[in-house]
Amino acid sequence: MINNLVFVIVFLLGFYAILVKKNLIKMVIGLNIMEGAIFYWFISITDRGGMIPIVNGTQVASQMNDPVPQALILTGIVIGASTSAFLLTLIIELNKFTNSTNPDQIGGMIED
Amino acid sequence: MSIALILLIIVPLATAILIPFVDVFSNTARKLLVGFSTLVEFSLGMFIIVSNFRKIMDNTFYLTYYLGEWIPPIGITLSMDMLSLFFSTLISFSLLFLVIYSIGFIGHHEGKYYVLLFLIWAAMHGIVLTGDIFNLDVFLELLLITSAPLVAFKRNRNGTEAAIKYMFYGTIGGLFIFIGVVLVYYNLGTLNFADISQNFNTLSLFVRKIIASFFLIGIFIKMGIFPFHFWLSKAHSACPSSISALLSGVIVKVYVYVFIRLFWNVIGFDVLVETGLDHIILVVALISSIIGHIMALYENDIKRTLAYSTIANLGMIIAVLTLNTKLALLAGLLHVLAHLLMKVSLFTATGYILQFTPGHKREDLKGVAYKNMLVFVGFIIVAGGMIGLPPMIGFASKWYVLKAFMTDGLSLAAVIIIIGSIFAFVYYIKYIITGFKKMTLGPPDKFRLILTVFYRERVVTDIALFFAIAVLISGIFFKVVFGPIEGAVEVIQNPSFYIDYILSG
Repeated sequence: MINNLVFVIVFLLGFYAILVKKNLIKMVIGLNIMEGAIFYWFISITDRGGMIPIVNGTQVASQMNDPVPQALILTGIVIGASTSAFLLTLIIELNKFTNSTNPDQIGGMIED
Repeated sequence: MSIALILLIIVPLATAILIPFVDVFSNTARKLLVGFSTLVEFSLGMFIIVSNFRKIMDNTFYLTYYLGEWIPPIGITLSMDMLSLFFSTLISFSLLFLVIYSIGFIGHHEGKYYVLLFLIWAAMHGIVLTGDIFNLDVFLELLLITSAPLVAFKRNRNGTEAAIKYMFYGTIGGLFIFIGVVLVYYNLGTLNFADISQNFNTLSLFVRKIIASFFLIGIFIKMGIFPFHFWLSKAHSACPSSISALLSGVIVKVYVYVFIRLFWNVIGFDVLVETGLDHIILVVALISSIIGHIMALYENDIKRTLAYSTIANLGMIIAVLTLNTKLALLAGLLHVLAHLLMKVSLFTATGYILQFTPGHKREDLKGVAYKNMLVFVGFIIVAGGMIGLPPMIGFASKWYVLKAFMTDGLSLAAVIIIIGSIFAFVYYIKYIITGFKKMTLGPPDKFRLILTVFYRERVVTDIALFFAIAVLISGIFFKVVFGPIEGAVEVIQNPSFYIDYILSG
């Protein structure tokens, strides 16, 4: 239960950063916080006793941690890293044109 | 087991990796590689169709490929049925001609351009073929991160702003889908589509509702349906026209595929009906449709008008699909085909026309009709199809959409579609009239002059005309595609068929 609560709070913190902060780099950090919340949540809710999933006779299958979520999260981390790297590149590029990182100058996020 | 399925993903992926190395040595070698891979990829799709032609006709067509020979539900499964085949063929067909168009159109930084284009191709085929929900998520992210650099391809302020917005919205959409994947894995312990589909109804209604909502929000953000449409017009208009055609014509259709596959074959449409979500989707999609048309009416920039028209048409497709009758699904898939052809055609023709104008505004288009009458006539024909005038395929698809709404007794929805068509008529006719206004075109500015040196007019006009003719011809012989579309509708409506052929081999 505490895991779900932490997930919701941290996820909403990241979402708050994206909605409210007036700096594109802080918004990227908010995106990373949201991703981190999901990774933490996925790891914690699939935890089953913390044994390493290597079968050697004495291990009990029900106590082994499931390796699939860890593989998924590794992939997720790679995706998240590349996404934020590319976003930061774009922000540097925008900074060259306008000399600022304020999201309002690009029309904000909810205008077109 | 069919090796062709994995080759459909590997060929463009390998080409994308090879292009930078070949590009170092010579331009000609890179062009040959691009042309060769495009042909190989296209003929792979044709080979699948030809070698399984009898099965396709009997509606018993399916192919599977197990990665690493792991039998499902363990491991990643690639599968192709009529629905995947329909979308895969559309992707290969339009990409083949868009690559040829790009040869004449781009003219600078071609190496980088083709790397990204082939990665997009691989990602789209991956989405269409995969049978694993996390694999789907990865391919969706690959599609996002390879199309965003192309949005910023012009390296001006407008393109960069559009790409930043596109990335923010797309990533948040991806996160929602990822939460859906986490919930599915936590509750069912499986990632295989067929396995999820088999066991999904054992979950409580509350959990099913939550999972469905997360997937729905994620897909709608990525697709640009009404409350999340803010990024679309900018992203689809800031890039070169060949990429606009790709984004607006093809990539949004891939998201329609994801919507259909997840909500009919994997999660099951029952959960939407039980929770009343289908009414919400219908209303939201109709609002999206009318808002897209109204915004297009007030827009003064031709590429942005076309982008808003995409929002409108996409809303219409989603609205008609949620009716979940045989006729409605048929109409939705027919409009997917029609809108793909028409939007690609409009953007290719616009890309040609805009080479001679000082800007994208409506006033700038004065006199373009006299520059190349043939292409402009093509533009008029396709715009007519977009409005829904008889000989074009747009008429056929809109007719079936209206018929589906009327049979379900939703005459209000039909009225909204008709009002939207009237708006479309108004905004397209404005551009066409401006095009015919007598005015000498001023000398193009220096930057454009440099671009036109690289610009091969012949290829570009030929492709633009080809798509216009395709719209016209397919409007007359549209009954030909009814066979495959009915097969696809059968797959959509029978999740048990999907479960059977994946889990039993």
